[in-house]
Amino acid sequence: MAIRLIRRAALFLLTLLVASIVVFAMLSILPGDVARTMLGVQATPETVAALRRELGLDRPLVVRYLEWVGGLVHGDLGTSYVTHQPIAGEVSDHLQVSLILVISGMIIAVCVAMPVGVFAAYRQGRIAGAVLSALSQLAVAVPGFLAGLLLVIVFAVTLHWLPASGWVAPIEGIGGFLRHLLMPALSLGLIQGAILSRYVRSAVLDIMREDFMRTARSKGLTPFRALVRHGLRNALIPVLTVTGIEMAALFVGAIVIESVFVVPGIGSLLVQAVQNRDLIEIQAIVMVIVAIVLVINLLVDLLYAAIDPRLRSTR
Amino acid sequence: MSKPRSAEVRLSAWRRVRLLAGPLLAGLVLLAAACSAGAGDNAPAGNSTGADNQSLQVGLGAAPANLDMTQTAGAAIPQALMYNVYQGLVKLDGQAKVQPLLAKSWTISQDRLTYDFTLQSGVKFSNGDPFTADNVKFSLDRVPKWKANTPSYLAAIKSVEVVSDTEVKITLSEPDNNLLFWLAGPLGAMFDPKAVDDLANTAVGTGPFVLDRYNRGESLILKRNDSYWGPKAKLSQVTLRYYSDANGPVNALRSGDIDAVYQSQAADQVKQFQSQQDRFTVEIGTTQGITVMSMNPGRAPFNDRRVRLAIVYGVDRNAINTASTNGLGKVLGAPVPPTDPWYTDLANKYPYDPAKAKQLLAQAGKTHLSVDFTVPNLPYCQTIAQVVKSDLAKIGVTANLHTQEFPAVWLDKTFTQKDYDLTVINHVEARNIVNYGNPDYYWNYDNPQVRKLLDEAAAAPGDAPYAADMKKVVDILVHDVPADWLYNAPNIVITKKSVSGITANDNGVSLDLTNASNPT
Repeated sequence: MAIRLIRRAALFLLTLLVASIVVFAMLSILPGDVARTMLGVQATPETVAALRRELGLDRPLVVRYLEWVGGLVHGDLGTSYVTHQPIAGEVSDHLQVSLILVISGMIIAVCVAMPVGVFAAYRQGRIAGAVLSALSQLAVAVPGFLAGLLLVIVFAVTLHWLPASGWVAPIEGIGGFLRHLLMPALSLGLIQGAILSRYVRSAVLDIMREDFMRTARSKGLTPFRALVRHGLRNALIPVLTVTGIEMAALFVGAIVIESVFVVPGIGSLLVQAVQNRDLIEIQAIVMVIVAIVLVINLLVDLLYAAIDPRLRSTR
Repeated sequence: MSKPRSAEVRLSAWRRVRLLAGPLLAGLVLLAAACSAGAGDNAPAGNSTGADNQSLQVGLGAAPANLDMTQTAGAAIPQALMYNVYQGLVKLDGQAKVQPLLAKSWTISQDRLTYDFTLQSGVKFSNGDPFTADNVKFSLDRVPKWKANTPSYLAAIKSVEVVSDTEVKITLSEPDNNLLFWLAGPLGAMFDPKAVDDLANTAVGTGPFVLDRYNRGESLILKRNDSYWGPKAKLSQVTLRYYSDANGPVNALRSGDIDAVYQSQAADQVKQFQSQQDRFTVEIGTTQGITVMSMNPGRAPFNDRRVRLAIVYGVDRNAINTASTNGLGKVLGAPVPPTDPWYTDLANKYPYDPAKAKQLLAQAGKTHLSVDFTVPNLPYCQTIAQVVKSDLAKIGVTANLHTQEFPAVWLDKTFTQKDYDLTVINHVEARNIVNYGNPDYYWNYDNPQVRKLLDEAAAAPGDAPYAADMKKVVDILVHDVPADWLYNAPNIVITKKSVSGITANDNGVSLDLTNASNPT
């Protein structure tokens, strides 16, 4: 167990290092210049060059990379070129909002996927199962932002039930917070829920064919009770893997959804940073997202052991 | 039979709770920690009733990158801060005419080299510091340090002299008829020397509002300046909300989240709002912008005037205006917005005439032409490019469209490296016609006669001779056609019925909320 943890930690750090090199290299070949973008169409080339010098962008790539990574090791994400403020504070502010959004989306996704997937599997071959299956297939094909726009048109523009966009922090009023959270969370959660329900369905179908399920039935349990008592826990392992992967997808999906709903999350911050070509801020945000995804993967790995006792002793 | 089973169920339920307790607890802790996440970007819950407690929420497009207009370009910063937080000696009204502000009055010497300003007295910055002639000298002396917003526009200023607390003398090295116009813009903003250390994040001015906070990319909140030197603002709080797509603000207006949309890009939805006259007011004003389709005169094939003229004849500007602004814009024929004193309607100077275009191309020996059209990834540019492409196909010109991300990539490739045949962008900077006098600009237009005339115009004795000289510049440009000047973008302002005091015309400097009100 200890060796496994050490190996996982080493792999985690190595992945971060490689990611930092890739991110830095990719951004350095990205066309567009923060100085020109900041100064616009009226600034003279001399002014732009002066600003580049001021920001230290005229120094060699290797120097800039080492300086950046050196800062990261000390937990310093750097100072934004555009806002002149420490990036760490901005990232942590926006990250909290994204976490709320992603976790709410995940909860909605699981709440939708579990009953729908189980029911579709349980009713496989009958009309209700086929209809559910087809509906989830349809939802999988809908992009999150489209779902968001449709929700806005129905619930904000037509019915006036919910605000079309914006964000209220929980301490500023829990009612307003929930009203603003609902639509972005739904547009993230429903689509992911549809995807997840496909996996739940096939996992449950696999389990229902297992020998121990037949044993459970033969000792007198109804098919439904057998599924609840013995089937679901086993079906959970593949589902959990997918959920972990989907957490990453949710973070990426949140970037678009945050723009649609003007939610001040990490995605909105990233979009602004890219538009301003605030390279140092883009690097920081991407690295934070990479780290989060790696941590999620690690947690999923560890959770396997919690759910399936067989995995605890091995390796 | 039933008893043991229910005990078993209870036990397994308890086990399940235990299994879930860990993650649940972790989640709760996380949520508690995130309770203040994103705090501060919403309006107060209190309703705005009575003249003293009105509030206004305005939906806008692009957000300020930061708050420092001395170092960062972009119309969004002065749009929010000028006249509302920062003030200058003079300001532009809705007709883009110069009006007094911190200067009560001024006189201009006979040789047009000396400007004597008399200042308002009793003016204070929002931090309590007094505003005097010293601040004028401090602020204008600081302009050469600006990197953005074209500090060279005030390059004619030789010296700023403090005559008394309320009197200032500005001496020029050469006459400049644009001086007051530029002093009414961001360059003329008056600063407190004690409050310029962190302009990217703070703003201290003499205006009717004070900056409460800026939630970058989302909203900027202004509060009424209760110690303002002039008539107090009617609005106690203003929230400017920024949206990245055109439908965001109009949807927010419909659902009642905001009270007004300024510079709406949703031209296709104007009719819908106009049909709801009981709820909304729609006004269509002008802007300072010129949508310019530049034809790089520095290289083939557009180094031939006949080819450029063929494009101008071969592209239907009315169709473009319809496609891009639903016909709400003003079709142009010269780089002059309708509010400039030297504006004349030249929309029909070169009417749409594909036959004439083909004839000109034949004369130039360019019957099968292929050009690279670099198009910013902005919706209106993409729309224009499609119309232009199909129009040009009809006269035997193939336009190869290359989409470039705006601003970063377009600024890098097309603007800085001047690597383009055709490109299009809405130039929102006021009086950008002067850039035709700069051969290094990406317009690549080099005509000594234009440069000479622009200099003469700047020194002309008075407003009328100035406008007359500028008209001569326009005549030459319209003859040379270094670009096809497509249309003046409309300023679409949609508000709730209760909102008043927002000027429909965009003066290119600011969304002036000094006189706005929203009694509900």
